[in-house]
Amino acid sequence: MRTIRRVTFLLVVLSVALSFSLRAQDFSLPVKSGSVRFAAIGDMGTGEPAQYEVAQRMFQFHETFPFTFVIMLGDNLYGGKTPDDFKKKFELPYKSLLDAGVQFYAALGNHDDPNERFYKFFNMNGQQYYSFKKGNVHFFVLDSDYLDPKQLAWLEKELASAGPTDWKICYFHHPLYSSGAFHGSSTELRTILEPVFIKYGVQVVFSGHDHVYERVKPQKGIYYFMEGASGELRAGNLRKTDMTAAGFDKDRSFLMVEISGDDLYFQAISRTGMVVDSGTIQRPGTASVVGR
Amino acid sequence: MRTGWCTSVLVFCAGIILIPVAIGYQEKAAPTAENPTFGDFSQRVGQYLKLRKSAPGERTTKNQEEIRDRRRALAQGIRQARAGAKQGDIFTPEISEQFLRVIRSTLQGPNTSNARKTIRQGEPVSTVHLSVNGAYPEGLPRTTVPPTLLLRLPQLPERLAYRIVGHDFVLEDTEARLVIDFIPGALP
Repeated sequence: MRTIRRVTFLLVVLSVALSFSLRAQDFSLPVKSGSVRFAAIGDMGTGEPAQYEVAQRMFQFHETFPFTFVIMLGDNLYGGKTPDDFKKKFELPYKSLLDAGVQFYAALGNHDDPNERFYKFFNMNGQQYYSFKKGNVHFFVLDSDYLDPKQLAWLEKELASAGPTDWKICYFHHPLYSSGAFHGSSTELRTILEPVFIKYGVQVVFSGHDHVYERVKPQKGIYYFMEGASGELRAGNLRKTDMTAAGFDKDRSFLMVEISGDDLYFQAISRTGMVVDSGTIQRPGTASVVGR
Repeated sequence: MRTGWCTSVLVFCAGIILIPVAIGYQEKAAPTAENPTFGDFSQRVGQYLKLRKSAPGERTTKNQEEIRDRRRALAQGIRQARAGAKQGDIFTPEISEQFLRVIRSTLQGPNTSNARKTIRQGEPVSTVHLSVNGAYPEGLPRTTVPPTLLLRLPQLPERLAYRIVGHDFVLEDTEARLVIDFIPGALP
């Protein structure tokens, strides 16, 4: 009996030590002075314990990687949209981050109400699509549920007016490339958006919708991340294909990103704090990607 | 005074006679799926917007109760102003016919598999009962409207959007979250 207790104790100590060492060893975002630091979450608004656990993990990492904002890749609130739902599915899970002054910039997903654009915490300023700038990074946020000619014209105008030395990052809900078995790539959107991204030099695209994490190998020079598992999860739903650079479908996850000069550093973190993907992208035109 | 009254009556009568003539002229422009004119759809949408013009503008707030209350008040005002509105007031049979042609050629013709896939990926809902002036079904996912379809339809002003709900094609007021009109069974 005593032996069993000792072995159990040893196992617990070992697992804690291993978990700590993995975090310490794998956590390698440089936290450079003056860098742009943000997190990315998608398909999170369930109000279920898993969403709260991911949010708590984000706050834990915020202590060592003080990101200043979060990009939300859509499906910010599933199901009901009452004032209580906004508390349960957004304000409470992310309370620690909100209290720390972290800002959230939302894109609308297919489960979202267009009137979320009036919700000040989402920083959409009443617009279904909008852009904002942080340091040398220009973000373009689209409503991929309703890509009408007006939105396309707006996007072209905004991209054309972005500074030539800025990073250009687009994010929206539906992935142009996805190896998720449930939805897969949004090919019609791709035929319309990809030429625009290429024409105006968009470097990185973030999406959600399929409830897994995937990093896609560069497609026509553009890097694609899909993070659709920050609340929802379709375990085992990722069917890795030739285009998959890395993926994770065993648990919930979120992304942390840092941009400094021509370098973009990223880490995908699981709900339990494991680093499931990481690497560095050098701005296309300057060099290449180093995945780990 | 009397002359002014007579002039007004004459102008009104001329309007009654000439507007349908003008509309008829537009409709006779031989619309096709490739080159639809959509009749007086834009005028009808314009009339709707005039009717809701006096509604207070939205503003951003952290208070969800405020957003909800404004939406409810706006919806109530529109319902009162459009009391008696019915299916087909905006999507008249003539206008519906042109929309149907475009919808079907976008979704059923050759090389349309991507557009159909867009709808499937948008988690389409099964049949939902819709009514004009009724609330847009709450909590349901927004089925993605294929962008290749949006490219071929008349552009809508802000606050209005086309929606796909089950097999129905819907015109929605996105602020009031009201069904303004719909074409039943428009989607294959």
